[in-house]
Amino acid sequence: MIEVRDLKKQFGNVTAVNGVTFTAKSGAITGLLGPNGAGKTTTIRMIGTLVGIGIGGGSVSVNGLDVATNADAVRQTSGLLTDARGLYTRMTAHENIRYYADLRGIDPAKSEATIARYVGWLDMKDILDRRTDGFSQGEKMKVAIVRALVHEPSHVILDEPTNGLDVMTTRALRELVKRLKAEGRTVMFSSHIMQEVAALCDEIIIISKGRVTAQGTTNELLSMSGKDNLEDAFVALAEIDGEHAHQTQQEAALK
Amino acid sequence: MKTQMTTQAKTQAKTQTKTPTKSRMNALNFKTIFTVLKKELRDHLRDRRTAMMIFVSSVAVGPLVLIGMSYFISSIEEKAEKKEVFVQNIVHAPQLANFMARQDFTVKEPKPDFRELIGQGKHDAVLVIPNDFTEKFVTGKADVELVYDDTRQDASAQSIGILRRVVQGFNREVSGQRLVAHGISGKILTAVEIQETNMGTPAQRAAMLLFIIPWLTLIVGITGCMAVAIDMTAGERERGSLEPLLMNPIARTSMIIGKWLAVACYGMGIVLLLLAGFWATLTFYPLPKIASVVTLSSAQYLGFAIMLLPFTPAIGSLQMLIATYGRSFKEAQTYVSYLYTVVSFIPVIAMFAQLKDATWQLYVPMLGQMMVLTRILRGEHLEAMHFLIPLGICLAIALFSVAMLTRLMGQEKIIFGRS
Repeated sequence: MIEVRDLKKQFGNVTAVNGVTFTAKSGAITGLLGPNGAGKTTTIRMIGTLVGIGIGGGSVSVNGLDVATNADAVRQTSGLLTDARGLYTRMTAHENIRYYADLRGIDPAKSEATIARYVGWLDMKDILDRRTDGFSQGEKMKVAIVRALVHEPSHVILDEPTNGLDVMTTRALRELVKRLKAEGRTVMFSSHIMQEVAALCDEIIIISKGRVTAQGTTNELLSMSGKDNLEDAFVALAEIDGEHAHQTQQEAALK
Repeated sequence: MKTQMTTQAKTQAKTQTKTPTKSRMNALNFKTIFTVLKKELRDHLRDRRTAMMIFVSSVAVGPLVLIGMSYFISSIEEKAEKKEVFVQNIVHAPQLANFMARQDFTVKEPKPDFRELIGQGKHDAVLVIPNDFTEKFVTGKADVELVYDDTRQDASAQSIGILRRVVQGFNREVSGQRLVAHGISGKILTAVEIQETNMGTPAQRAAMLLFIIPWLTLIVGITGCMAVAIDMTAGERERGSLEPLLMNPIARTSMIIGKWLAVACYGMGIVLLLLAGFWATLTFYPLPKIASVVTLSSAQYLGFAIMLLPFTPAIGSLQMLIATYGRSFKEAQTYVSYLYTVVSFIPVIAMFAQLKDATWQLYVPMLGQMMVLTRILRGEHLEAMHFLIPLGICLAIALFSVAMLTRLMGQEKIIFGRS
């Protein structure tokens, strides 16, 4: 379970996150939906311990552990994939993944078994022992995902994982996310594509201008917005301001 | 390790205790250090083209410098030995020609435009005999003209001295003979006889040339690990691999130390290759002229190694630190090249300022190394402080850089600031 409470972050004069609150339940897929620059990435980085939470900046707990005070423990239990997915091009896909496993001090036999499992899921046998130089976007993404999951985290957070990927890779990724859910892990993933989030997520959180403007299942969001298609619902819900959002949420809760 | 941590994490989850695990962030974890070191070395040695270029050029410096110097020295010595003088109109001075022949000098006719050539440093000094030399010589009023340019510091400076001495010797002989003709001993002309004893040992004679060996050695050490240092820091930022790397629950200090050790290994490898190049040249390539100037004993090699082995890792750590500010490899390269320029010019400035060896120089990176290496080459006396002070400075630089790097790698603008 990931609990985000009144999270705030300011970069200079820019307010990236302005009081975000939500809960991502265990064994469920939570989608973080929002337009570009809504604060999704910053929120995810704060959950992932990469961006510090300042005083009065709210709190995040992963698996009951406060991110601010238990950063290393949170890193042990969570796997994070942000838009920085750089690989070492002179090393093979396998070596890239093993490097992280070794850094985490995982027993080689165990990490090899984990790698083999994900390689099977993502169909990447052919690329495993190739140097990553010249990999396609999809191939790079697969390596980066396995690298982020090599320690079998109970909490998986993916920041716009399908960005720039073809249909096949996107499907493989969706399958992976479903499998992770089936194993009882907490999965969170962000996107700006409504359809994708709708197809996968048990719960959707819409973020806009650093605030949560709506929260619920696909059907709840549709009824909340009064629209009959997802895209319109997203646009409508993303554009309402924070005050209004609070009200709609309360209304939805009353229903 | 991992299982321990997860169980710990679970118990913490149940009891909701908030024990700060920050201490682990600063801990030295040898396993992490070793994992990072191993990865970085493997990664960078796979960059065959860069590695080969760096390694081959490090080995090549020794032979190139030594062979080049050998030719330079022998050209100087040849001129001194060859006893050639340029005299214009020697036919008008048969007496002088006779004297020169007896002294084993070969008289050569200068090129027609020798006056210009001397000004350009392309011609040795020339003695010009006027047409009426013999007539005036008989009356004892003869003169000759010596054409030279004393602003030239090359070998032609020697030809001036030779011509002066020849003419003076001729004078002494002639006037001696004339005095004898009047019944006076010729010895009256020389109140004090000069006995020349050159105190300069062969090593000291080539002091200027000895500047080049330590200087180039140090520069190769500086440039050698530059590419690796940049790739490990700015390269990591540019690739976008720094952010996921820092998501691992590892101590930043350990990660930085691992990276730094990889740079250090690379730099020290280069130093050893460099010394091997010098050793191989001096051992297998017969350079008799060099032998009179540079002979490296095993103690001297050891001295070089002691000075250079800590120096490259220290400079490497500084390069890593500076490169971290670069968002891309290219940007970092620009920053690091400033450091390179400053450091490599320190000894040149010191040379032009004609600094005498002093203890304070030991505290200045590069200057201290230069001073000690030059002294090692000259075979001069060295004390423990000559090694300990620069070593301490190198250690301080490395510690400072690693500490600063650890701090920087925790800053958001470094982790996320990508070009």
